Amino acid sequence: MRIAILAATAALWTIPVTGEAQSWRTVTMSRQLGDHDDLRVTVEYGAGVFSVRSTDEGLLYRMNLKYDEDRFEPVADLAGDRLRLGIESVGRGIDIDSREAGELDLELARGVPMDLDLKFGAVEADLDLGGLALRDLDLSTGASESRVDVSEPNPVRMETATFEVGAADFTVRNLGNLNADRIQIDAGVGALTVGLEGRWQRDARLGIDMGLGSLELRVPEGLGVRLRKDSFLTSLDSEGLIKRGDVYESPDFDDADHRVVIDLDAAFGSVSVVWIN
Amino acid sequence: MYRLLRSILPVLALGVLILPDGAHGQLREIVAKSVSASSSGASLELTFADERELEVSFENGSVSVDGESIGSYEPGSDLDAAWRALLGDAMGLENGPLADRLVAWEVPEDLAGEARATATTVDEALEEALQVSTASASATVQSRIMVSGSEDGTLAEALLRSVDRLGLLGEALEGLSTGDRLRIHVEEDVVVPEGSVVEGSMVVIEGMLTIEGEIRGDVVVVDGSVEILETGVVHGELRAADARILRNRGEIGGGIVDVLETERDLERELRDRIREEIRAEIRSDLRNEIRNVTRMDHDDDFSIMAPFRPVIRGVGGVLEKLILVFVLAVVGAGFLAFAGENMETISETARRSPGRAAMVGVAGSFLLLPVWILGAVALAISIVGIPVAIAWLPLFPLAAGLAALLGYLAVAQNTGEWLARTDFPWTGWIERSNPVYTMVAGLIGLLLAFIAGHVISIAPFLDFLAGLLFAVGIIVTIVAVQIGFGAVLLTRGGRRPEYRGAYDTYDTDVAWEAAMQADMDVNVDDGLGADADPGNDG
Repeated sequence: MRIAILAATAALWTIPVTGEAQSWRTVTMSRQLGDHDDLRVTVEYGAGVFSVRSTDEGLLYRMNLKYDEDRFEPVADLAGDRLRLGIESVGRGIDIDSREAGELDLELARGVPMDLDLKFGAVEADLDLGGLALRDLDLSTGASESRVDVSEPNPVRMETATFEVGAADFTVRNLGNLNADRIQIDAGVGALTVGLEGRWQRDARLGIDMGLGSLELRVPEGLGVRLRKDSFLTSLDSEGLIKRGDVYESPDFDDADHRVVIDLDAAFGSVSVVWIN
Repeated sequence: MYRLLRSILPVLALGVLILPDGAHGQLREIVAKSVSASSSGASLELTFADERELEVSFENGSVSVDGESIGSYEPGSDLDAAWRALLGDAMGLENGPLADRLVAWEVPEDLAGEARATATTVDEALEEALQVSTASASATVQSRIMVSGSEDGTLAEALLRSVDRLGLLGEALEGLSTGDRLRIHVEEDVVVPEGSVVEGSMVVIEGMLTIEGEIRGDVVVVDGSVEILETGVVHGELRAADARILRNRGEIGGGIVDVLETERDLERELRDRIREEIRAEIRSDLRNEIRNVTRMDHDDDFSIMAPFRPVIRGVGGVLEKLILVFVLAVVGAGFLAFAGENMETISETARRSPGRAAMVGVAGSFLLLPVWILGAVALAISIVGIPVAIAWLPLFPLAAGLAALLGYLAVAQNTGEWLARTDFPWTGWIERSNPVYTMVAGLIGLLLAFIAGHVISIAPFLDFLAGLLFAVGIIVTIVAVQIGFGAVLLTRGGRRPEYRGAYDTYDTDVAWEAAMQADMDVNVDDGLGADADPGNDG
C-alpha cells in the first residue's frame, strides 16, 4: 500500500512537469469502515494493471487509480449494502494505440463479510484474496493475464466460487483457502493453472470447463482427489492418479482428511496433474 | 415577520461580538475521501459522518469550492504547488490525521494579491467544513443572548439566507420564555457534550444539535435535526419546526411540540376535502356513463341489444360476402364480355395445370416488388424512360392487381363448372352453358367457408369453429389467387391459347378419337394391320 501511495504522491508532484500532453489522472479514494456486516461488492475494470488485496487499516476500501480522464471516470459508490468500485467509460471509446496502461490498486476491508463480484477485461491482474471474508465470489475476466492467490484462509464459509475466464493465461493458487463448497472454473482459450493448495476445511467439488488450451492441476500431497473426465481430443497426464472405472483417484482418496471431486469437461487441449509438497 | 426581524437582528449582532468566548471547535469525522490529480489540476473531495460533503478543486486555472468558483491560479505557481503538496500528504492520511493536516494548512507566506485571497478562502473553507462548534459547559456566558453562525464574518449572510425561515422561526418562538439566557446557532452543528450544562434556552436554525449533556431551558430547532442521546436532558420543551427529532433514550421534561402541527392539520383537512370532491366527481361521471350505456350508445359495454349482437354481426358478415360475390360477378361478366377468349384460356390453364400455375403464381408474387423497383430504376436512369417510369410506378401495381383478380375469377369459373357437374342438391340452378352462372356459383363456392363462418358465429360458444372456417376461407382464397395469377402469367394474360394444351394430361375422349382414326387409316392404306403406325397417318 505504501508503495502505491508513494507512487501516487510522486505522480502528484511530477504530473505538472511531465504530463503536459497526457490526460492521465491519478486518484486515491477511500472510505472508513462502518457497521457493515453484509456487503455486496462489485469491482469493474476494463483495461490496464489490476491488483486486489486486503487491508486492516480500518478502511472499507482504498483505491488507487490511474486512468485516462478523457475516456473514463472512477466509480466508488456505496448505497446501502452495495459497494461499486472501479472505472466506467464516459463514452469516447478506447484508444487501442495507447502504449501506457491504466492501473487500479484496490484494498478491501479484511474480515467484513462480503459477496465479491470482480469483472475485468484486458488486464494484467494480480489478485490476493487472502484475508477477505468472502461469502460468494464471482470473477470474470476477458483477455487477461491473471494471477489469483488466496494467501490466507477465508474466515467465512462460501457456497460457490465461480471463475469465468475468456482468452487468458489464468493462474489460481491456494483454492483450499477459499473455504468453498463448490468451485466452478469456465475457461475459453488459454493456459490454465489451478492450484489446490491451502487449508481445506471440508470436502469440495471443483468443476472445470475448458475449451481450447492446457490445464495444469497442482495437487498437494495428502489431499484426496477424484478426477472425472469428459473430454474430446484432450490428452491427460495423470501421473500419480489411479484409474478406477471411469474416474482417476489419488491413492489415498478414501483415507484423506478432505477430498476434492473434480469434474473436468475439456475439448482440444492437454491436462496434466502435478503433485506438490 | 418584520417585528421578529427587528427583535432578532440586534440580538444577533450582539451575539456576533461575543461568539468566540462561547464556543470552541472540534473536528468532524471524515468517512470518505477522494484525492485526484492530473496535468489539468488537483482536487479533494471529503464526505463527513453527517453526510455533508466538501469539494475543493484546482482545475484548469480555476479554484472552486463545492462547485462555486472562488478564484483562479496559475498552473505551476506557488499556490498550485502548495495545494498539490497538501494533497500529496492527504493521499496517505485518513480521518483524524487527515482532518488535522487539512486544518493545519496555512496560507503560504510568500503568496500575495489574488493568489493569497484565494488561498485564504480555501483555508477558511477547509476549517469551516472540518470544525464542529461545541457548546461548552465551562464557558462563562456573559450575555443573556448569544448568537453564533457558520463563521463569524458571514453570520449576517447566513441570516439573510435564512430569511425565508423567519416565519417558521416566529411560530417556533411564539410564547417561548426567554427570561433566561438564550443561545442562537445559525447554519452550524452544535454538540452539548456529556456532563456539560447549558443555562437557558437554545435555538438552532438549519443545523444539527446533538445533546449529550443538560439544557436547563427550551430547545427550538428550525429546519434541522436534533438528537438526544441517553445522557441528554432537556428541562423545557423541545420545539421542532420542520425538523427531525432523534430521541435516543434522552429525557425531555417539557415534552415535544410540533410547531407545524396546526398547519399539518389544516393541510390534512384540505386534502380530505379535495379527495371528497374528486370522489363526488368520479361518482357523477360514472353515473352518466352507466346512463349512456343503458341508452345503447355504447357497443362495447352492456346494453339491452347485447344478446342480438352475434346475430347482427353474423348476418352482416353473410350479406357482406354476398355483396362481394355480386361485385366480383359483375367484374367477371365484364371480363367475359370483353375478353372471353382470354378468360377461357386462363381458366383452362388453371384447370389443366393447377400445380404449375400455383408455383408460377407464388414465384410471380415474390418477384412483383423487385420487378417493380428495378423497372422503375431502369427507366429512371434514362432520360427517355423517365416519363415511362412515372406511368410505371402506379400502373404496374394496378396491372398486377388486375391479373390477380382475373386469375381469381378464372379459378372461380372452374370451381362453378365443377359444382355444376356434382350432384349436390343445391347446385341444380347452375347452368353450365352460361359462364356467368358458373362464375357466380364458383365465387360462392370459394367464399363458402367465410359465409359458413359468419353463420356459425351467430350461435353461442362456437367461436372456435367460426375462426377455423375463416382460416380455411383465407387459405382457399390465397390458393385460388396464386393459381389464377400463375395461369395469367403462363398464358400472358390469356393471349397464348396454344399454351393451355401444352401440359395436357391424358384425356380419354381424345385418346379414343385418335385410336379410331388410326384404325380407319390402317384399313384404307395397305392392310398391314398390326404394323401400321398411327403416327404416320398424315
